[in-house]
Amino acid sequence: MNSVFSNKTAISIFVLPTLLIFCGIVLVPIFISSYYSLLDWNGVGKGAFIGFRNYVEMFTDTRALHAMKNSLLFAAASVFIQLPISLVLALVLASAVKGEGFYRTVYFIPVLISTVVIAQLWSKIYNADYGLLNTLLKDIGLSGWVQDWLGQKKTALIASFIPTLWQYIGYHMLLMYAGAKSVSQDIFEAAKIDGASRVRTAIAITIPLMRPILKVCLVFSVIGAFKVFDLVYVLTGGGPLFATEVPSTLMYTTIFDTYRYGYGSALSVFIILECLVFTVVINTFFKTE
Amino acid sequence: MKALLKRSMVVVLALGLTGSLAACSSPSEGETQAGGSGTIKLKLWDQSVGNTDPSSKLLPEIIEKWNADHPNIQVERTGTTGEQYKTKIKTALAANEAPDVFYGMGGGSFMQPYIKSDNVLDITSYVTDDIKAKMAPGMLEGITTNGKIYSLPVYTHIASLYVNTELFQKAGAKIPTTYQELLDAVSKLKEAGITPALIGEKDRWPGMYWYDLIAMRQAGNDAVVEAFKDPSKWNTPDFVAAAAKMQELAKAGAFNSSMFSMSYDEMLGAFNAGNGAMMVQANWVNGGIEDESSAVKGKVQVVPFPIFEDGKGKSTEIFGGGQDGFYVSSSTKYPKEAVEFLTYLSMELGTKGFQAGAGLPSWNTDGIDTSGLSELDQAAAEIMKTGNSFITWWDNILPAESADAHKNLIATLLSGDMSPEEFCKQMAQLKPTELDL
Repeated sequence: MNSVFSNKTAISIFVLPTLLIFCGIVLVPIFISSYYSLLDWNGVGKGAFIGFRNYVEMFTDTRALHAMKNSLLFAAASVFIQLPISLVLALVLASAVKGEGFYRTVYFIPVLISTVVIAQLWSKIYNADYGLLNTLLKDIGLSGWVQDWLGQKKTALIASFIPTLWQYIGYHMLLMYAGAKSVSQDIFEAAKIDGASRVRTAIAITIPLMRPILKVCLVFSVIGAFKVFDLVYVLTGGGPLFATEVPSTLMYTTIFDTYRYGYGSALSVFIILECLVFTVVINTFFKTE
Repeated sequence: MKALLKRSMVVVLALGLTGSLAACSSPSEGETQAGGSGTIKLKLWDQSVGNTDPSSKLLPEIIEKWNADHPNIQVERTGTTGEQYKTKIKTALAANEAPDVFYGMGGGSFMQPYIKSDNVLDITSYVTDDIKAKMAPGMLEGITTNGKIYSLPVYTHIASLYVNTELFQKAGAKIPTTYQELLDAVSKLKEAGITPALIGEKDRWPGMYWYDLIAMRQAGNDAVVEAFKDPSKWNTPDFVAAAAKMQELAKAGAFNSSMFSMSYDEMLGAFNAGNGAMMVQANWVNGGIEDESSAVKGKVQVVPFPIFEDGKGKSTEIFGGGQDGFYVSSSTKYPKEAVEFLTYLSMELGTKGFQAGAGLPSWNTDGIDTSGLSELDQAAAEIMKTGNSFITWWDNILPAESADAHKNLIATLLSGDMSPEEFCKQMAQLKPTELDL
């Protein structure tokens, strides 16, 4: 076995199929999109080369800037709300509570359900006329709070963040849980002998030792926020009046509703670069510390 | 036992593999057949798959009859649901892989880019005088672009005001025929605790129907056609007045407070459950209203949109009447046969669809039994007969980008974030239509 893995030709033969598929469905389209983003093109026929004008428009158009701002807000919400909740759940579960397996499964269920199903579910919860949320508020005497959650500019953004944050809590929890479980029991025993409390053990031992997995979670969470599309698209379609628009929904509307393939491709290139830059930044941040 | 399981797994896998192999090779088989035995295979793509859509029942029947009558020209149909169909056909057209015959999603600005780039077959020479004579008045003009014909009409739709008579009676309101009566009805319905009108503005086009009709009543169809050609005319007093009326209705509480989170489907659901008294929609909603599951079956009337005391539009000027038909791909190997099938399909589906309540006829219906039609369908057909001027859905007339902007502007107007003057200034920035009007 070892001789096979040290053989360079064998390695290249094994790697080649995946590399080809990866190039074909990821790398090549990215380069093609980058080229399209320099065109003024309606999707059929010939496009006119216009240089970086699509990018200039993107960074001067209030609608696009608003969408970028929303995705940054969403990334911040993921990092500062979603990940801490996942971390606490993971640490609690990893500290051998009763029914560990049961809770682990329950928290993970939303990850397994299709996002479109989740979006439909939440749009029924938020429904202004018969939604669960408004009915509940009425029943507990808070009729004044009853409102059209997804139909108002001031509440729609938060209302569309919550389902995604909720959905992926289980995902990050499972990653962190695995990280916490892989910490050697000897260390915990030593801490116990020294009289460290559970909270202290978590802060001083478990979390620092989970750094690699925390980095992975952070990267996934931020990139996931930048790429979010399906949930927002089904819940609000970017509305009302662009209040919940994110770069990916704007890209979809530009390409499929207004036939501006060039501008839409520029947006997609922006999303790719945004994800790339933040991945590098997060990695260097974790290295230097 | 384990060995048996393993062996049966192998058999299943092998079967699966051969199955997928067969699936891969079938298209090429079809092609060789076409060359060898003289059988022609035509592919048809459509979007009629919904349960309540009468076309989804009619299409397979029509194709089965065609295939039985034409053993040498066999049609294979693929149905895909609405929004997905749009994406699918756009992608196929752009890749030059469109099926021989396909549904064109209301034509207009949807098909315009593909007509321009020659992805669609020019069928002018195939449309004989005989075929032209069978069309209903006004339809031939509608399908002609720059003197060329690319599609045949199937059936058509017109938008009118749907009123729930039970709720109107409850509120003591009168079915409106003028703008003032509309405002009166709104305040009476509101007093009675009834939502006066429903808009599914999450999808943006239901609100557009309101504004477009108001603008047509205020300025008249001729002025609207002028403005389509010269957008600077959107910024004239008549259109400002129309926008002001739209906002007046919104501020008077005419529309449901949840309109921005309500989709088109939810709007229909709410109307059919009796949760709103009025709705501006086209006759494709008739089937759902008259369905057994509907709470408002038999309680709904369809009437022409109210006329305005100070408006130039008449009730005979109708919103709708567009061509909603099938096209032939320019990459088809059998243009003659494809057009032959297109003609058969358009006529059969047009007449049978009308009888089944799928739409209003665009072919001559003299001597056709309409007794099976619901009251709503007959009333809509009556309104259509009174029409002497038709303007189809504005988002089909405007170029795609302007259509999108138009719908967004109306949503902003409805929300009260934009003044009627600013709305018209922005409308004047739209691009002129690329169609002949």
